[in-house]
Amino acid sequence: MRRLGVALLSCTLAAPAFGQEALDLFVKAEKGNCIACHQLPEGAGPVTRNDVGPRLTGERMRALGKPSIRAAIDDATRANPDSVMPPYGRHRILDAREIDRLTEFLHALP
Amino acid sequence: MPCPSPSRLLLCIALLAGATSAAAAAPDAVKADVASRLQAQVPGLSAADYALGAEAFDGELRATREAAAAAAPGVVDAGKRLWNRKFANGKTLGSCFPNGGRRVAAAYPQYDARLKRVVTLEMAVNQCLKSNGEPIHELADGETMGAIIAYLRSLSDGLKMNVRVPVAAEEKLDEGRRLYFTRMGQRNFACASCHVQSAGKRYADQPLSPAIGQATHWPVVREGRAVTLQARIRECLETMGAAPFPAGGDELNHIEYFLAYISNGLPLKANVGRLRGSSPP
Repeated sequence: MRRLGVALLSCTLAAPAFGQEALDLFVKAEKGNCIACHQLPEGAGPVTRNDVGPRLTGERMRALGKPSIRAAIDDATRANPDSVMPPYGRHRILDAREIDRLTEFLHALP
Repeated sequence: MPCPSPSRLLLCIALLAGATSAAAAAPDAVKADVASRLQAQVPGLSAADYALGAEAFDGELRATREAAAAAAPGVVDAGKRLWNRKFANGKTLGSCFPNGGRRVAAAYPQYDARLKRVVTLEMAVNQCLKSNGEPIHELADGETMGAIIAYLRSLSDGLKMNVRVPVAAEEKLDEGRRLYFTRMGQRNFACASCHVQSAGKRYADQPLSPAIGQATHWPVVREGRAVTLQARIRECLETMGAAPFPAGGDELNHIEYFLAYISNGLPLKANVGRLRGSSPP
């Protein structure tokens, strides 16, 4: 029961950031296309088996913190030169506002 | 450059030695380096599995694709008709190849010492047409060139890949390796980002084929059309956000040369079917 309560609370907290725009940034091929490599928690987006990048969970994202999430989206190769994640900011795939939206979306994942 | 493993050390030594003094073992070192990286990424993958490409990682995908291959329209038959079509001078494409084209495909691409270029099977077909005064085919056209290649490679089905790299061509092979490992395009991927570093993982719901074996199972038949290896690489380059190299240009020829060489010893398989909308490995 307590677990269910926590889950409901997480959903409530995450809901504002789960707007269509943020999800589109995550999913659309011409935008982030993050879904091609990562899996989202159940209910947060399309279900896939993609695993080129790590599974994204709210717990993991909040442990990272918004500045690190933002930095990873901007250019993950700064922290890890071997990372295959596209440098969304450095290569201007996403603009600063879009990176902010995506950061909020990830930080609020269940 | 970090060189932790003996095979990588060999490669580093070969690279540092420079092209002019490149030893005959350099291509072997290139292949050993890729094999060592893949072994670390997908340990336990057998030689037979490498020849399967992406299907090695997904039995369901393999079964579905085998069913699709059986039901694939007659691309090979269409290629056979073009292969046997008589030129104005009465000859056919078969007149330009040993054994009428049987058992030749596994040795392509080849280095042509006279042209000082790597020649793919598609280029050899067009050279034949040109030398007989016939119009050449677009290299990327699935309905003509793709079908011919599907038929020509079917004449070597099951033969082991056996691509030679003479000393004069080692630079071309290394250029192919370099391009394969170079990040490019807006997405900053290298071919190796997916097919070495992430081989066996799933991207866009498809398993990623390992670099070794990629040159064995081409062309694929997708939606009734033959897709050559170079056509597929051009699609990958677009996904990477890079301007694709021209079909038949030295860049793609050298990448294909590299991929074919590191697949040596694996059985060639032509005309692998693909479902509508699914990406070939």
